[in-house]
Amino acid sequence: MIDVRELTKRYGATRAVDGLSFQVRPGHVTGFLGPNGAGKSTTMRAVLGLDAPTSGEALVNGRRYATIRRPAFVVGALLDAGAAHGGRTALNHLRCLGRSNGIGRARAEEVLGQVGLSGVADRRVRSLSLGMRQRLGIAVALLGDPAVLLFDEPVNGLDPEGVRWIRDLLRSLAAQGRTVLVSSHLMSEMALTADRVIVIGRGRLILESSVRELADRHRRDVLVRSPRAADLADALVRAGAEVDVEHDGLVVRGLDTGRIAEVAAQRSVPVHELTPRGASLEDAYLELTGDTTEHRDSGRTS
Amino acid sequence: MIDTVASEWMKLRTVRSTLALFASVVVALASGALISYLMTADHDRSSPAERELFGAADPSTVVIPYAQICAGVVGALCIASEHGTGMIRSVLTAVPRRAEVLAAKAVVVGAVSLLFGLVTALACAVSTLLITGGRPAPIAPFASFADALPAVFAGAASVAVVGLVGLGLGALVRSSAGALMGVSVLLFVLPVVANLLPHPWNVRGAALTLPYLVPQLSGDVEGAPLTPLGAAAVAAGYLVLFLGAGGAALLRRDA
Repeated sequence: MIDVRELTKRYGATRAVDGLSFQVRPGHVTGFLGPNGAGKSTTMRAVLGLDAPTSGEALVNGRRYATIRRPAFVVGALLDAGAAHGGRTALNHLRCLGRSNGIGRARAEEVLGQVGLSGVADRRVRSLSLGMRQRLGIAVALLGDPAVLLFDEPVNGLDPEGVRWIRDLLRSLAAQGRTVLVSSHLMSEMALTADRVIVIGRGRLILESSVRELADRHRRDVLVRSPRAADLADALVRAGAEVDVEHDGLVVRGLDTGRIAEVAAQRSVPVHELTPRGASLEDAYLELTGDTTEHRDSGRTS
Repeated sequence: MIDTVASEWMKLRTVRSTLALFASVVVALASGALISYLMTADHDRSSPAERELFGAADPSTVVIPYAQICAGVVGALCIASEHGTGMIRSVLTAVPRRAEVLAAKAVVVGAVSLLFGLVTALACAVSTLLITGGRPAPIAPFASFADALPAVFAGAASVAVVGLVGLGLGALVRSSAGALMGVSVLLFVLPVVANLLPHPWNVRGAALTLPYLVPQLSGDVEGAPLTPLGAAAVAAGYLVLFLGAGGAALLRRDA
């Protein structure tokens, strides 16, 4: 459980995070979304006690991070793939970090295997590809088998196979009942991975919702194809729908698929296709974050 | 704390630069011994009057300053390289108690550089005795191994102090280049600047700089501005100043 309360972080005159509050609960993958510079990394660093908040607080299981003894067993974090000394071997990197929490070599080798890096255990970090370094960072997060996990942009630099791997990993960690917070600036990625999303823009909370709710809210219209399109359009309009003709089909707004099917059945009009079309989550996200940006800009100039 | 110290020790020995720096002192030692040997050979060919004009054929005058730089660099890199690579964020995530992280680093850097200084100073003393054995002062700086011990301990302690000062500087400036610059200023620039001051401030000023603390610490200089105890107090002052400033930076600033 991660609990961010009225978190504000100022760097000079800029508010990187501005009165942000949200909770991340166990058992879900929670996507932490926002454009670059929205304050995602700053928020994560505040949760981990790396950055001191200007005001407000960020708690893990109700405690400030700095008060946790042996935090590797409570919280695991992937901050950035570069958070390693390039001259150390992959295994030694894990052993050094594990050692401070009383975690030994056997466990370091185990997590290295879990992220698929056993073969490069003795290679220096600087010689690893970005994708391998991401995996190494994830291995660090898993060292203490913690119940709370934070991943900052974990898919950066991964190849498609790696992206799928991390998606499966995140989902299985959440399925085990862990709290999983994953930041990303790619809605399309989160649509596939996350159950819940927290969207921020310019350090403020824009939306906290489940991915399904978000998709439902932005459901736009239904595409209907029928050999008797004109008849059907007529009936649908009478039933209260708004209907447009789009090259070979009808675009229906205001009625859901069930009602449309009933109307067609009453008139005995054959229907060849009935497809609810949501705005992609990507569109929903751009709309959401775009709005705040515009709103705030106009607020400034007036 | 023990786990944190163990982790810092593992970190220090799993990067190649540490061993490379410590091993490089062997080259300095060989050069110093060669110079001592050539001096002694020259001494033996000279007349008794000329022999009185010789300095001591003691490799430690070259080797201990070199060992100090090595320890200073190891100390500085041990934290500055973590800031440079981002490793510090992984470290502080694993151990969020920052004072403990710096204390553990200080224990490891202090112990390792003290041991390194001790081995180096002993090697210097032994080679001096082997090269100048049976000859009188001034070419032989000491008559027996026991006479050499104060200089050995003072040299070893100075190496440890510079290692810890390097650590403090690294924590303070967070950049490897900046920290190494700081170590160089303390070891090479300040003594020169101090010597340029008008008398008697040149003597007093120089007496406070790290290189001149070593002979004052061992009590080997007649009429030195500082007693061995005084020199030890100044050395402790360096530690308090630099570890304190480095610690304050680590505790206060975002990582």
